[in-house]
Amino acid sequence: MIQLIDLTKKYSKVKAIDGINLEIKPGEIFGFLGPNGAGKTTTIKIMAGLLKPTSGRVIIDGNDIAKNPLEAKKVVGFIPDRPFLYGKLTGKEFLRFMAGLYSIDTNSHESKISELLGLFELTEWGDELIEGYSHGMQQRLVMSSALIHNPKVIIVDEPMVGLDPKGARLVKEIFKAISSKGTTIFMSTHTLEIAEEMCDRIAIIQEGKVIALGTMDELRKKVDSAKDQGLESVFLALTETLAQPAESFEEVP
Amino acid sequence: MENVALLLTPRIISFKNRVRSRDKWETAKAIMLLLLAVCFWIGIFIGVYRVLTYFQGIEIIGDLLTRRLLSMVFLTFFSILLFSNVITSLSTFYLSDDLNLIHSAPVPLGKIYLARFIETTVDSSWMALLFGLPVFIAYGFVYSASFTYYLWLMVVIIPFLIIPAGLGIILTMVLVNIFPAKRTKDIFLLLSIVAVIILYLLFRFLRPEKLVDPETFSAVAAYLTALKTPSSPFLPNHWATEAILPLLQNYEGSPVFFFLLLLSTGLALIVIGNYLSSHLYYDGWSKSQEAKKSTISKTRVIERLITFFTRYFSPQTRALMIKDIKTFFRDTTQWSQLFLLAALVVVYLYNFSVLPLDRSPIPTFYLQNLISFLNMGLAGFVLSAVAARFAFPAVSLEGPSFWIIGTSPITIRGFLWSKFFTNLLPLLVLAETIIILSNYLLKVSNFMMLLSSLTVFFMTFGIIGIAIGIGASYPRFNVENVAKMATSFGGAVYMICSMIFIGLIVILEAWPVYTVFMSRITHRPLDLSQWIAIWLSFFAVGVINILAVFLPMKIGVMKLSEMEEYP
Repeated sequence: MIQLIDLTKKYSKVKAIDGINLEIKPGEIFGFLGPNGAGKTTTIKIMAGLLKPTSGRVIIDGNDIAKNPLEAKKVVGFIPDRPFLYGKLTGKEFLRFMAGLYSIDTNSHESKISELLGLFELTEWGDELIEGYSHGMQQRLVMSSALIHNPKVIIVDEPMVGLDPKGARLVKEIFKAISSKGTTIFMSTHTLEIAEEMCDRIAIIQEGKVIALGTMDELRKKVDSAKDQGLESVFLALTETLAQPAESFEEVP
Repeated sequence: MENVALLLTPRIISFKNRVRSRDKWETAKAIMLLLLAVCFWIGIFIGVYRVLTYFQGIEIIGDLLTRRLLSMVFLTFFSILLFSNVITSLSTFYLSDDLNLIHSAPVPLGKIYLARFIETTVDSSWMALLFGLPVFIAYGFVYSASFTYYLWLMVVIIPFLIIPAGLGIILTMVLVNIFPAKRTKDIFLLLSIVAVIILYLLFRFLRPEKLVDPETFSAVAAYLTALKTPSSPFLPNHWATEAILPLLQNYEGSPVFFFLLLLSTGLALIVIGNYLSSHLYYDGWSKSQEAKKSTISKTRVIERLITFFTRYFSPQTRALMIKDIKTFFRDTTQWSQLFLLAALVVVYLYNFSVLPLDRSPIPTFYLQNLISFLNMGLAGFVLSAVAARFAFPAVSLEGPSFWIIGTSPITIRGFLWSKFFTNLLPLLVLAETIIILSNYLLKVSNFMMLLSSLTVFFMTFGIIGIAIGIGASYPRFNVENVAKMATSFGGAVYMICSMIFIGLIVILEAWPVYTVFMSRITHRPLDLSQWIAIWLSFFAVGVINILAVFLPMKIGVMKLSEMEEYP
């Protein structure tokens, strides 16, 4: 469903991401981890069409994001880490606007909007201006807008930022439910428990390179970690001791 | 002073770094735009030079006319600077993002005031000063002024810039304290209207129309007295005029006295402002941080109108248009500008209603049509200024929310055209209102009425094309307030392009119409070559109009698509 092929992004002489290769299957929840400045947001922005790569390709549902951006974007729902929205629109109006951008039939979108507002517990706020929403509410509104066109792929940068525990649990449940119906979820996160609990596979990047890739068990094996060890110790072990080229891991394509 | 300098360093270093990190293409672009600005600058110089030479040729009153013109130039600058300083100081003193950081640091309030004072003065004055210089240099050339004049001018201009800055900042501080917290934006509404009224009243005080109509004075002596009487002896424009004119017209005068008057007023305003800031600034700033209550207009009429006017557009364009229109009517800083527009139209039309055309020595029919052409150019200028405020920032207004457009399946082309159409209808209504009513007041011929209505109709398309296209070429998604957009570098490029476009259209139409009128007056039929030239002119008007719409839009699409990174 998603392919990243030799993806590289240079800022002047600095390589923010350096030849990333990944392939994510339909219905998979994929975690993208790494320390600060590792290149997570850069990768996500390229995948969402907000940033041009220096070289390499991103293929989403068979469409190259650079060559065929509109077709690729039609199947993607993007959730940024900081939800800058139109403060002067109400929640409902914003969802109607998003439905318009994805050319969704006017007759069908009203019921979808009500359903999404209900799902993200925003029904009673639907007619209020977004500028009056808390950060968490705005984040939930962005998530509902990302689902308005029933996307095949969700790309999400730090999904739990600004959410209270209840909101976080709600989002986890929704993501699991939609992925079980075949939606691919690509999420970058710092919250290791979320990644451990939700993701089918995890990639860890450092200095722009994928240094580890696999299921939780596979990652544990890489650092000879005990079975009961959490992702945090695995992550720290990998990023502190395995800061070496990705080629040293056979799992890395 | 050390602290003040330190507070200014982020701006200075940012500027330096921006210049330093410029690549070759950006340098080439900057040079090209600089050349364009120089051409514009030379244009102003030549224009003023010719007017002054003409004035000088008029016996007895020539020098008086140039003196009055200089006073008017200073008054115009003063008014623009005052308004600009109020707007800028709202941003620098109350709305800037870095204020939280500055206020949390152990910096005395007086130092913050001084640093922000300097920032405000520079931000609001540089463009007025840049485009004002050719006027003063033209004066120097016409009067063959010595080097001392230019040197003295530089000295005099500094306090002249400080006075409106001091006044503007004091006004802002008082207003922010009077209005309830977080209603600072609403002040824009009041300020816009007050500024227009003040500007207009000041201008009327000068009684400019009397200068061209000596017959309204009972005797030449009365006319001369009117010219000699300073129309605003307590305003800094008069002091500035009197401070530099003796060096031009070689009379004794009291240039040092008037300079000291400017300087002492400027310094006094800094001191008064500093004193007031210790009492008013922190309270006002603190109030402006308080939470804002949201309100939504409940008017169903607007909803219905929007639905009606957007029904034929694609779902994507429609969604964008509805979003933009709703945002506009819910944002005080946006809709309040409509009052300003209304005031502008009223003043514009009022001026036409008081033109004493019947008393002019030139045949009325000829003069009416001549003024009708000038009116076309003037209407174009007004539309450009309005578009600079509404259409030009349309792309940048998306702000940090531009990621929504960037990640949606909508083309940049579709996005830009939606902005074009959202701005088109209101500007067309404004354009036709201005031109039809003013032509009606001028009692022009039916032909001129039709020609100017059609010209301005199509000119509006061109102006919006230029505004949206250039606005997209110089997007500033992180701009703190949209009022700043029109005075940005991109804003200047837009205004220059728009002026050139309007000038070309008016010139290309004026010539053939003049030829046809003259042939009728002289009863000499036009020959074939003249007819060909006339049709070629109109053809060129059409081509320029089409180019003005599509070329900037295409460049805008290209520039926006080429952006490395969207916010």
